[in-house]
Amino acid sequence: MDSNGNSDRSTENIDDRQSDSTLPRFAVVGHPNKGKSSVVATLAQNDSIAIAMEPGTTRDSHRYPMKVDEVTLYELIDTPGFQRPRKVLAWLQGHSLSASDRAETVAAFVTQHRDDPRYHDECELLRPIVEGAGIIYVVDGSVPYNREHEAEMNILRWAGRPSLALINQIGSDDYSADWEAALGQYFQIVRRFDAVRAPFEKHLELLRSFGELAPNWREPLDAALEYLQAIRFGRDHQALEHIADALIEMLGHQETARLGEFEAAGPLQPRLRQRWQAWQREREQRLRHSVEDLYQYRRLQRQESDLLLPDDDDLFGERTRQLWGISKGQLAAAGFGAGAVGGVGLDAVTLGHSLGTGALIGGLLGAAGSYYYSDKLTKVKLGPLSGGFREAIYGPLKDPQFGYVVLGRALVHWYQISQRNHAGRDVLVVTDSDAHWLDALSRSDRNGLQKSLQALARRRFEPSKRQRLIEQLELAQQAFSQWQLSEFSSAR
Amino acid sequence: MTQSLTRLLDFDDQFRRDSQQPQAFLHRRDRRFAQQQQTQKRPLTVTAWLAELHALNDQRQRDGHDPRLRRWRQARWIFAALGAVLGAAFMAGLLVYDGSRQINVTLLLVLIALQLAFAVLTSLQAWLGWQPWSSLLGRTGEDGDPLQSLRPALSARIAHTGGLLFALSGLLTLLVMVLVQDLAFGWSTTLQASSHSYHQLVSLIALPWQALWPDAVPSAELVAASQYYRLGQGSATNPALLGTWWPFVLMAWLTYVLLPRVVLLLLAALQLRWQAAAALRRHPGYASLLFRFESPWVETRGEDEAPREPAPVQVSVAPLPASATLIHWAGAGHGSSALVSSLSRDGAPLQLRAGGNSSLEEDAAALRQAGERREPVILIARGWEPPTAELSDFVQDARVQWPAGTLLALVPLADEQGEALKDAGLLAQWQRFVERQNDSLLLLSAPQ
Repeated sequence: MDSNGNSDRSTENIDDRQSDSTLPRFAVVGHPNKGKSSVVATLAQNDSIAIAMEPGTTRDSHRYPMKVDEVTLYELIDTPGFQRPRKVLAWLQGHSLSASDRAETVAAFVTQHRDDPRYHDECELLRPIVEGAGIIYVVDGSVPYNREHEAEMNILRWAGRPSLALINQIGSDDYSADWEAALGQYFQIVRRFDAVRAPFEKHLELLRSFGELAPNWREPLDAALEYLQAIRFGRDHQALEHIADALIEMLGHQETARLGEFEAAGPLQPRLRQRWQAWQREREQRLRHSVEDLYQYRRLQRQESDLLLPDDDDLFGERTRQLWGISKGQLAAAGFGAGAVGGVGLDAVTLGHSLGTGALIGGLLGAAGSYYYSDKLTKVKLGPLSGGFREAIYGPLKDPQFGYVVLGRALVHWYQISQRNHAGRDVLVVTDSDAHWLDALSRSDRNGLQKSLQALARRRFEPSKRQRLIEQLELAQQAFSQWQLSEFSSAR
Repeated sequence: MTQSLTRLLDFDDQFRRDSQQPQAFLHRRDRRFAQQQQTQKRPLTVTAWLAELHALNDQRQRDGHDPRLRRWRQARWIFAALGAVLGAAFMAGLLVYDGSRQINVTLLLVLIALQLAFAVLTSLQAWLGWQPWSSLLGRTGEDGDPLQSLRPALSARIAHTGGLLFALSGLLTLLVMVLVQDLAFGWSTTLQASSHSYHQLVSLIALPWQALWPDAVPSAELVAASQYYRLGQGSATNPALLGTWWPFVLMAWLTYVLLPRVVLLLLAALQLRWQAAAALRRHPGYASLLFRFESPWVETRGEDEAPREPAPVQVSVAPLPASATLIHWAGAGHGSSALVSSLSRDGAPLQLRAGGNSSLEEDAAALRQAGERREPVILIARGWEPPTAELSDFVQDARVQWPAGTLLALVPLADEQGEALKDAGLLAQWQRFVERQNDSLLLLSAPQ
């Protein structure tokens, strides 16, 4: 039994070693406070790393495996910064005979100083490298290159592992070209990467270059990239589902209260309106949290207008409507489009004999209706008398702008979340905008969206139409991204 | 069919519970279940998924007793009972025969047609989803009620159950009446109808069972013999013949009242099942669940670090001591003559370099030279880079080598030009560094 047990265990160890040697591991190393943790936070999509880090305080290495259904495809290792590089290099030089024993000398350093508190950080940093991890050396490209880090780079060169240097941009100055030239002497590959601002495509590009470090790392890295891309698309779509469900609930929401037979409904109105607004805000917050959770933001701080300015600038303020929603003119135009579609149907029935009059009449009616309703706020409605009581119902809000307010805010939040990196430590400010994203949506798509929002506000939305709404929101999402890009490029 | 409704309700409940959970948790849980089902070659269905979750949470051991269905179930029982009572009363009322006048088959046929029309209308309403009477049910459908879209089909099923019981009890009453009473049927109409055309009508009605039961098709003689007039004598030539209408009445009831109800009830049940399945498919949580089943769980976050609160700082910035000995740590501020003049008490201070790219021997030499001056020493460092252990070693070595009581002022800079460090976060890490050295002669200062 014992011998069998031993043999099993030894087989397991061999398997472990084999899987260890093929598993791409990357130790992210460098001088303290050069953005190692930011790089890991962005690539591992873990915002708690970014929040946790106080400059230069990482004392232990942390592993961030990329797993697909519990199968690890690669592993990032966040390490502490070098504390005594010159002393370490001096030790290595004092214990090495020739260039061929350098990697072994580095391993010997780690073995010898394992329990030495003076070299705790260096041992934490070098151990994964000695165990076979690739080296990702991070420098700050916003400060001028100087030779003070050469001891660190020499130690890493001694380790003899595949290596890549990453020029992270922390400040506004750019000395990347100088760094690139210098780092090229020490590292196989040199890349620039802004951990806080790099778009998702750049993350993938960087991971692809990690795969170039060793031939057997390319395949798992390529597979990992495909999964990351798929999960990204999945998240964008799921965010739409969350927004659609919030719209369905918010636009159709009603608040109710019991009212005595002879009790007047008037005094109840402010209380119901307040409850209705509180519910809307709470539901909107739930949407925010669910979208943030989808993109794996758990420690995000967010600042939104309605949280700070409850009277004038909140969800129901006129200024907010103008900023986020659709102006009366645009609304009337959208209504015109929707009405005209009905009118064209009338023309088709009369075989075109009305010579387009149907479309004209339909358009005018639609526009007039939209304009009228844009100022019409909801009132308390009373249900039938039952058992001496009546039901007072507040909502849904008939104002068609409301749907655009909710949607506009949701899209701005989604866009900022989807474009944000997990290394970002700043408060997410959901900002105002002075132009309207709806302009980027085609006329027919705008009409479709308008119809769906109106149906929601009238509580005539069939569950079977949810899919259609999601498709319309997908178009809105594309239009919004397109509009944001055009705003960004025009601002530049 | 109750199973499909229960499944829909259970799914909705689970969806509501899950809405409070993080997406990552849900994806891991459901992906694990999908993989487990595949490994064990078991079907990956919502039913199996719900059963697994219920088993894990000790929920719902019995099927079909969801309290939200109780109201519908009660309504069904009430309609069934009402149908049974009304069916018997209806048939008994029709077949009351006091001998003064025959039972009018025409009236019976009209009422049968009416029953058929009601049954068809009920189903039409359900198929079209039209509920003109929905307000009578009150506000049963709350926001997001999963049964909301099924209300027409549920109502149709209840109505058809009542109709079926009506038809059954009517049929039984007819048979009992035939058995215990001497029924005399006849036909009468105000319209100018000949017995020939009436015979054609009843033959047409009897077409479905003509081959099965020829005796249940009234003959031309029977039709001619059983016509009666209100003002007529009322006594038939052959009273025994009038009783032979009953097989026709029985078959008409069976074919046009009972059978359609059975068929339409079955269809309503199927419709309900189909609609419950459709409601499940378009449930907001359904597509997400399939996504979680099909998409591999991709985990990148690794271990979560709990944010650490930095220790509070005690050390404050001290005035710069008068000195003409400057050490540039890693070359900090070496190129700024303005900084040098602002830090030094005379115009040509001793400037030494240590740390950074200097060798350890050069560090030792700088320490030696600075110690020989026997005056406070100013150590300039880059404030935006965290102080490393090498700097700590340097300070400790200085303390060993320098004369006792030598002041050492550490000056972290905000930039290479020599601006004082203002950023509170960056300054805090230098304050903490000075605190850690536990050296009363080590000061934290700023350029003047």
